[in-house]
Amino acid sequence: MSRPATAGAQGSYASQVNSGIVQAKTYISLSAVPRNANFQAAVVADIARGFHMNSHTPSEAYLIATTLTPRLPAGIKLVSTDYPQGHPAMLSFSTDKPLDVYSDRAIIRLKLAAVAAAPLGATTIPVVLRYQACNQTTCFPPVKLPLEIEFEVVKADTKASATHPEIFSVLRVR
Amino acid sequence: MKRLLNVALFAAVICIATSNFSGCSGAPKQTPGTATASAGLGPAPDVTFKDLQGNNVTLASMKGKVVLLNFWATWCDPCHEEIPWMIQLQQKYADKGFTMLGAAMDDEGVKIVQPFVQKTQFDVQGHPTTMNYPIVIANDDIASKFGGLIGLPTSVMISRDGTMAKRYIGLVSEDTVEKEIRSLL
Repeated sequence: MSRPATAGAQGSYASQVNSGIVQAKTYISLSAVPRNANFQAAVVADIARGFHMNSHTPSEAYLIATTLTPRLPAGIKLVSTDYPQGHPAMLSFSTDKPLDVYSDRAIIRLKLAAVAAAPLGATTIPVVLRYQACNQTTCFPPVKLPLEIEFEVVKADTKASATHPEIFSVLRVR
Repeated sequence: MKRLLNVALFAAVICIATSNFSGCSGAPKQTPGTATASAGLGPAPDVTFKDLQGNNVTLASMKGKVVLLNFWATWCDPCHEEIPWMIQLQQKYADKGFTMLGAAMDDEGVKIVQPFVQKTQFDVQGHPTTMNYPIVIANDDIASKFGGLIGLPTSVMISRDGTMAKRYIGLVSEDTVEKEIRSLL
């Protein structure tokens, strides 16, 4: 199950423009989430060629870090948020030292748990991806992109199969 | 800066964003690593900014001077790259009828811009120097009067008679800007 970002959902020109730079989708690691199970969700941000966004740990304090903020529904607990490592990039404007950035694709994973009393049925975790993108000469306004992670909570003894191994099987975290 | 971009530029920017800055009819021709400049932009709009003390600052009050209006933000790294030579241009040409005017586009406004301006030291030929030119707070409405912003930095060169002589989108070189200042003084 994957779900694309709602482009421009903030209603701002900034988010509309940035939606052309960063395309984000959400993924869930199980076909359905049994009560008492641990599972993962991911936001996959595809960044247009020639652009980058600051990593979660940017090289300067004044830079805006990429963050993912979930609003957890009843019965779902956040275990951890795992951000990918950035990579150093020397840009035309970073003459002193490389910037720590994401380019091409950044996958941010949420490790989650469904508690024993999690309500059964369709569940949504609203998340906000915050990022600020630049190219070699120009920076674009910071964006808070709202996304939704949707899945089904099922009884504890229900069998669920793993999904999207391409997203969830490799984990490089910082 | 929640509505930084003028809606008229929206399609052009999407085209830029998705086509690596080439092949978009009607959009600025640009490749990563280069900035764009355009000329002949008509009279500068009559806008009123607030400075960091809350006082009104009008562009009209600067008529008779060559003004480089620089839209920037504290979070914008390429903007920081330009600031040292903008400080130098202010030092060099302020008494010849030129002024820099830094228009900060931070959503948080004075709260974040003022401490940044007061505390941040830029390396100007080996000397730590704070910004020495007027800083005002700008927003999307103001930026839209200058044709809107695709991104930051964006600078607008305004001649002594109040005409917008040139607009630079993205990081631009000191030499390019200084030549333009000299030609207008």
